[in-house]
Amino acid sequence: MKKAIYSIFVVGLFFLFSGHANGQCNPEQYTDACIPKLASGFNFLKSYKIDGQGGAKTKVEYSYVFTKGTQYMINVCATGSSTDGIVVSLYDSNRNQVATSKVNGQYISAIAYPCNTTGIYYIQYTFDNSTQFCGGSALGFKR
Amino acid sequence: MRILPLGLILIFIVACNSSKKPDEAAFLEGLDSAEVEGPAISEEVISSIIQQIPSPLEISVLLKESGTKYDRALLNSPDNISKYNSNYRKALNLGIYGTDLGYTNIYEQNQDGIEYMSSIKELADNLSIGQFFDIETIGRLATNSKNLDSLLLITTQNFNNINKYLQEQKRANLSVLSLTGGWLEAMHITCEVSKKNPSNKDLKETIGEQKIILDNVVQLLSFYKESDPNMASLLNDMEKLQKEYESVEIIKTYQESTFEIVDGVMVIKDNSTSEIKITDENVENIRSIITSIRKKIIS
Repeated sequence: MKKAIYSIFVVGLFFLFSGHANGQCNPEQYTDACIPKLASGFNFLKSYKIDGQGGAKTKVEYSYVFTKGTQYMINVCATGSSTDGIVVSLYDSNRNQVATSKVNGQYISAIAYPCNTTGIYYIQYTFDNSTQFCGGSALGFKR
Repeated sequence: MRILPLGLILIFIVACNSSKKPDEAAFLEGLDSAEVEGPAISEEVISSIIQQIPSPLEISVLLKESGTKYDRALLNSPDNISKYNSNYRKALNLGIYGTDLGYTNIYEQNQDGIEYMSSIKELADNLSIGQFFDIETIGRLATNSKNLDSLLLITTQNFNNINKYLQEQKRANLSVLSLTGGWLEAMHITCEVSKKNPSNKDLKETIGEQKIILDNVVQLLSFYKESDPNMASLLNDMEKLQKEYESVEIIKTYQESTFEIVDGVMVIKDNSTSEIKITDENVENIRSIITSIRKKIIS
């Protein structure tokens, strides 16, 4: 009986702590940090939470209609000054890749995109050797 | 061995706490479903379409950049607020005033902006979302044009937070109405400015490319056509607008993009292009339909 109770206790603790591990991501702190990092002249539009749920999610995706003649900036913030392996990729409405922030093994923290084609674009965040699977991003625009 | 009962108590407390959240969610859901029967489509799908709709602020910046002068007469009067006596009309006009506020902000017409903010706050309070507006802070920022960046940031964040909150509270119908109102007002201003400047190609193209946004708006409203007669009626009007847009063409040519890194920022060179085919007759018909829909909403 004591063994059974002990097992329940151990299993209970496991669920308790695994629940905490998944709930640790606080993307707001990163989105808040990301908004002021938009380059001068860009107006803030949206902030995006990047919560990979401790690695359970392989990608986080949002979409937005970009307008011809407008320049957009997307930046990524994570723990410390790095992007913690978070890669942002931009796809057009036909799912053609327009940009990805990983170049030659280097993670770029901001993309500027002067849009020539009005349409729905997909902003996709993936995790590449990420330790926290947690970050934030901001989208801004200027004409 | 004393640790065992303590451990069981701990697990019990955690179990009780974790069961509290669904109860709260169910309670809130119950409250909301009492107000409006939910749409047949999932909230996640609705949220993903809502997030695509661009901010009307983009159009205000375009208007200012094109050299168009500020014209308060184009906006809905903040004094009209007493006419809005249902959640449907309040949510639509919240969006309309939101666009008007963005327009006054971009043109640094801060005194007008304060009047719009006051009406927005009142509408938001009536819709139980007034907590997102700290009038004191906004008023302080609005008194000095040097604070324009902060003012724009705060008002944009407020409207984003309202949209998120309404969706979380299963009141996405109000979010859809607010976005529709905001979009209609931006269209109204653009069409009226275009009428005065018929040679401005950028404005015509902007009106033409709204075909993409209109499709989103129509799709969102269609989710509520069975559950909300007001939204069904608005959908009917928007479908008339969509009919006019049928002859507007958006032709895209894809070519792979290139990039360079400048000061740590990846600057993309978009080699794709798009052409928008819209006639003067299309613009005039769109303007006329927008005027008619807007009149119903603000009167």
